[in-house]
Amino acid sequence: MMFGRYNDTFRYEFGDILVETVRIGGLLTYQRRCEGQTFERILVSKTGEIIINPVEPVNLPKEITDYLLMEFSPMLIEPGVSQTVYLKFPIEVGVFLEAARDIEVLDVFGLGTQKYTLYGPPTSGVIARWYQSAVYTEAPPVESFREGVMELSIQNASHEWAEVSCAVFDSVDMKIYYNDVVTTTAAMKIITPTMAETDFTDAPLRPDMTRSIELYTARKIPVINRGYLMEWGLS
Amino acid sequence: MTFNVTEVLEIPIGVGSITVESLLYFAVILVVGIAVARVVSTNVRRALMERLPKSERELLVKLVYYGIVLWALVIALPQLKFDLSGLLVAGGIAGLVIGFASQSVVSNLVSGIFLMFEHPIKIGDGINVAGVSGSVEDIRILSTIVKTHDGIFTRIPNEKVFTSNITNYVHNAARRFEYQISVRYEDDADAAIRIIKEVIWTHPFALKSPAPSVFVDNFGDDGVNLTAYIWAPARNWWDVRTSLLWQIKQKLEENGIEMPYPQRTVWFADELKVTTGDTGTKGAEE
Repeated sequence: MMFGRYNDTFRYEFGDILVETVRIGGLLTYQRRCEGQTFERILVSKTGEIIINPVEPVNLPKEITDYLLMEFSPMLIEPGVSQTVYLKFPIEVGVFLEAARDIEVLDVFGLGTQKYTLYGPPTSGVIARWYQSAVYTEAPPVESFREGVMELSIQNASHEWAEVSCAVFDSVDMKIYYNDVVTTTAAMKIITPTMAETDFTDAPLRPDMTRSIELYTARKIPVINRGYLMEWGLS
Repeated sequence: MTFNVTEVLEIPIGVGSITVESLLYFAVILVVGIAVARVVSTNVRRALMERLPKSERELLVKLVYYGIVLWALVIALPQLKFDLSGLLVAGGIAGLVIGFASQSVVSNLVSGIFLMFEHPIKIGDGINVAGVSGSVEDIRILSTIVKTHDGIFTRIPNEKVFTSNITNYVHNAARRFEYQISVRYEDDADAAIRIIKEVIWTHPFALKSPAPSVFVDNFGDDGVNLTAYIWAPARNWWDVRTSLLWQIKQKLEENGIEMPYPQRTVWFADELKVTTGDTGTKGAEE
């Protein structure tokens, strides 16, 4: 398992991923290779630790948005009914440097390709990382370091049937937990057949999971848990 | 020798009835006022750090700073026996003169304030205004600073910005750009369209929705002209535009589809006779 805390030198290799710290000429050097792309930094540290954990999937190939749009098979939901489903969501791997009083983002990498989309009209919509998933009734097996499991509770609080085939999230609120699998828990409350509120829940899917350090925490960006109002339709 | 502070303070400085004491009071009030203005404006800046864009934040900070300093000055001036009521008469006349003289300055100031509220542009936006294209570096009280694409500093008076047509290239979340791609008449246009769409799909920032549109636009002199409409995030569209076209060309060529060269088919009205020195007429060619 690549995720966790590391001191001094370490090496982890899995498929196309190689993450290691080595001493080159007496200097500690962080090296990463992922699908042919490489990254290297010299680390000058006495007590610092390296933390590797899954992070919000909106940073690659470069950070242009906070939003994640999950597209899934269309569901028709009866008024007043709630349903919990499981989706696969993309993950990225964050590497952090932690000292006694500070934490810094060292590297972010991920497997596979990314695709972005526009949610809403060009004039007032938002750019979002797009990902497509099938709908599962229980946590599906996922590909390591590429995907995680999202538990999505959908509640139709409107008085009409609602068709849902996508959910847009503000990744700033995302809470990721991991052990051998990466998970997040989210909720979607349908207000009208074309409008819904989405939010993440700060709870692990299973006991004994570790909470990820979010990039927003590491970047010291103040975050107010705000959720997201999907006002441009649910499909 | 005895030193009496009260006597020293009451010494006139030689200008009207102003004493050292009143001059000291004036200076103290002004210094305290400036100190308070600095502390308050620093705290205002800190408090608004995450809430307001830099341009608006700095404008507000300056307003607070100079407001407090002006207030201190108004309080301090009577110490110098300065009759502020006299300013009302003098101010009226001076105001008229200054008003005429500073018409354009006031116009720029008011335009600047309107620009702050209307928000047609923000710092960092790519714009075209009054014939100047570039990115907004700063929006000041009287002028807007634009860095052209060549890196040239350009100052545009706010009145001109406010009364001109402003094109903000990044105001919307996404924007569309297009390619004109020609293929030979003998090439399969449907295959070309499929390949172009596949290449577009591989680019992360060529948006999935609105979906790209690729179609046969017209029949040109030399080949079939295809048009591709592609949507990209407004702040990244140029990167997408510059990276995709070459990839499309390479992929088309890998699949045997090539760009047409200019060509003409020439028809001769009469037979074309080609002659050589010893054999005479050898044949005819079109």
